[in-house]
Amino acid sequence: MSINSRNIIKPFIKEKGGLMPALHALQEHLGFISKDDIAELAIAFNYSQAEVIDVITFYDDFRLAPIGKNIIKICQAEACQSQNCKQLLGDLTSYFGLEIDETSDDSKITLKEVFCLGNCAIGPSVMINDTVIGEATAEKIIDHLKNDDVQKI
Amino acid sequence: MKNSIKIFIPNETTANSVGANSMYQVISKLINDDHIEIIRNGSWGAFWLEPFIEIETDGIRRGASYRNEELSDLNTIEEFFLDFETRNPFDINEIDFIKKQHRIVFSRIGHDDPLNIEYYKNSKGYQSLLTALEIGPQKTINRIKESGLTGRGGAAFPTGIKMQTVFDQDSSVKYLACNADEGDGGTFSDRLIMESDPFALIEGMVIAAYAVGASKGYIYLRSEYPLAKDFLIRAIDIALDNNYLGNNIQNSDFNFDIELRIGAGSYVCGEETAMMESIEGRRGLVRSKPPLPAINGLFGKPTLINNVVTLATIPALLLDDQSDFSQIGSNKSIGTMPFQLSGNINHGGLIETRFDISLNEIVKDFGYGTKSGEPIHAIQIGGPLGIYLSSSMLDTSLTIESLQELKGSVGHGGIIVFDDSVDMAEQAKFAMEFCVKESCGKCTPCRIGSVRGVEIIERLQKNKTSKDDAALLHDLCETLEATSLCAMGGMTPNPIHSIIEFFPNELIEK
Repeated sequence: MSINSRNIIKPFIKEKGGLMPALHALQEHLGFISKDDIAELAIAFNYSQAEVIDVITFYDDFRLAPIGKNIIKICQAEACQSQNCKQLLGDLTSYFGLEIDETSDDSKITLKEVFCLGNCAIGPSVMINDTVIGEATAEKIIDHLKNDDVQKI
Repeated sequence: MKNSIKIFIPNETTANSVGANSMYQVISKLINDDHIEIIRNGSWGAFWLEPFIEIETDGIRRGASYRNEELSDLNTIEEFFLDFETRNPFDINEIDFIKKQHRIVFSRIGHDDPLNIEYYKNSKGYQSLLTALEIGPQKTINRIKESGLTGRGGAAFPTGIKMQTVFDQDSSVKYLACNADEGDGGTFSDRLIMESDPFALIEGMVIAAYAVGASKGYIYLRSEYPLAKDFLIRAIDIALDNNYLGNNIQNSDFNFDIELRIGAGSYVCGEETAMMESIEGRRGLVRSKPPLPAINGLFGKPTLINNVVTLATIPALLLDDQSDFSQIGSNKSIGTMPFQLSGNINHGGLIETRFDISLNEIVKDFGYGTKSGEPIHAIQIGGPLGIYLSSSMLDTSLTIESLQELKGSVGHGGIIVFDDSVDMAEQAKFAMEFCVKESCGKCTPCRIGSVRGVEIIERLQKNKTSKDDAALLHDLCETLEATSLCAMGGMTPNPIHSIIEFFPNELIEK
């Protein structure tokens, strides 16, 4: 564990139930939770490493290895189903040549599915990093990835 | 002197998802005159109009929809104003979608910058907190009991009774946990409160905490709502700066802090006991009840748990005209309910209305039918654990009681419309697949039963007439209902039962 990681964890150690916010903060800075970080988290929170891994692996958001710089989450919940989100998912997986939960070789794109972004009145919806796109089409998503505020493809 | 001009451009997830942010970027660059002001308001919840941009001059406010429009070829703000006039701008309060609603909880959304605390105060905000501090905890709880408010999350438990239980516990430490893990597909009312009227949630939390004697509150927010997170962080800071949170709130001896906790992509963490596990820093495994959270909840202490809309409703119940709320409806279906209309629908959005409204009024009068123009085939009500109704059931009233009779629930108020291209056997399979994906894994019927459910439905998709598989599916659903620890497993059969009963021959042929 780097000194950097230790500093990131520090403010959460005394908080009740501070492991979740510590994991979020670590991942935001480093992109994933490393083996070294797991060991350090276990000591810091007085858990067994098994318990830390337990928590990380329960939640979809946490990951044990780096993924793409742009995370594209395609909503597959009911409201988007009524708006052909399966077709959209197929269009995007074939355009990028990636399966769901797969990352491109250049590490620029990871495709994921998500269940509801709360944008249900104008689906199908896709989230690119923190940006939600409504009435999404493959073209709209690809266009958005050429914008300045994302890691350009 | 020139008259001042206000331009309202919403800053809200749905509006931004179809370009409100980009339009703000364009328009703000055109302004070179300090009598023109841009306000990033919340959304009115009439989502088919978004981005809905309004201009106010001489006290007259009109707006126009900029859906699928580009403004990048505008060179001056005058060009924007001229363009605006060509779009037949109108007063949004004059359209049926808004006029036909009965907005009490959502009365402020859309009007102004959601973080403008002066606007909040001038529109009845924080009056109820002062009332609560004046009349004391027990009388506050009495008012909430008398109001008839029930939880808007799914179980529809009387809010005042839950508060009384927490109040009655003899404990020096108590907690309030706001469930903002709005995970049901087709719902966004919690999000809209957090993004477009966050002070209403904060005021509701302070009142509830004061009433039950909690000194610390958590908001457990799903990670899929980053804009709501931004708004909550800033709203909490502003409330602290203005002494509506923190120590000695409004010169009383009441201290209360709110901590924002972010979820990590787990649906089951919207179940209250799994949510507590997650806040405590563990896997989101459900706990068996009893003990009730009201008696033994977060960190082993009495805890009041309500969702965002329920808490944001509380301030409205302590106003002088609270009878507005209580005199609507009957039985358990008292007050207004924010229904969320979505899916294959022309006019989707937030519809706050009495419960006793027919599905027909919602999907036709408010929704204007399907977006595809094809006939309605199915309508899902109450999220993934709710039921599907067929197009012949549009006269169904949306009260808690009438949906219970159909073995469904209002749930969190999501209404999703499907046209006749929907495959109901696929929807039944999805109900089980969703349970496979989101089951916490603690109890066997949910963890393994859901996988078995997918397998059986896949077989039925190949042979609808298999009596063995139909019987097996029936038994499996019964097992899930009778033996699951929580509503995730226990209610996953609801959509499947409804498909078998209301869509004959689409999953099972007799």
